[in-house]
Amino acid sequence: MKLGLVVGTVVSTINAPVFDDRRLLMCDLVDPSGEPVGGYLIAVDTVGAGAGETVLLLDEGNSARQILGLTTAPVRTLVVGIVDAVEVQGAPAAGGSRPRGPRSRRAGRRG
Amino acid sequence: MQLARVIGTVVATVKSPGLEGVKLLIVQPLDRHEQPAGTPVVAADAVHMAGPGELVYVVAAREAAQAMPDPFVPVDHAIVGIVDAVSVSALGKAGR
Repeated sequence: MKLGLVVGTVVSTINAPVFDDRRLLMCDLVDPSGEPVGGYLIAVDTVGAGAGETVLLLDEGNSARQILGLTTAPVRTLVVGIVDAVEVQGAPAAGGSRPRGPRSRRAGRRG
Repeated sequence: MQLARVIGTVVATVKSPGLEGVKLLIVQPLDRHEQPAGTPVVAADAVHMAGPGELVYVVAAREAAQAMPDPFVPVDHAIVGIVDAVSVSALGKAGR
């Protein structure tokens, strides 16, 4: 999986049926300290992530389809987690949406 | 998936079985500021409605073929959506 920073959303009306009623997030790829490494991915949201949050990106088609419960779908990239904090070699890295404390704020947003 | 701009069409009479009736378009991959990034590629139009000048999103690799009616066709880029709007947060606009 990859680390990403959600920077926006992509909206479409005409799309493959699998994208109906799904949110597409534009995510910059970042390193563990949260710095962009260049490049971005448009990913299907499965966790209710929003702009400014560091997320876990799954970029593999078979796994993506398995999570969506589909056998055939042109989907490769999913947002599968919201990163609270990143630790590298025992030390906290700057990446992560929320360096400390529980994420109680999010409890009602997941569906 | 990546953003891309449709910049042209490709017509091929002789092609691999399974590709009959598939519309092929030339797309220019874009960075997230919608500036050209990389070389244009030929993508199959899975939404049947994309045309030159349109901003689309493209799925690459094996998953592209899954956008086609027959998922076992030699397709490695497919247009799977026509973009209405890209909403980038202030954070994203700053170039982070």
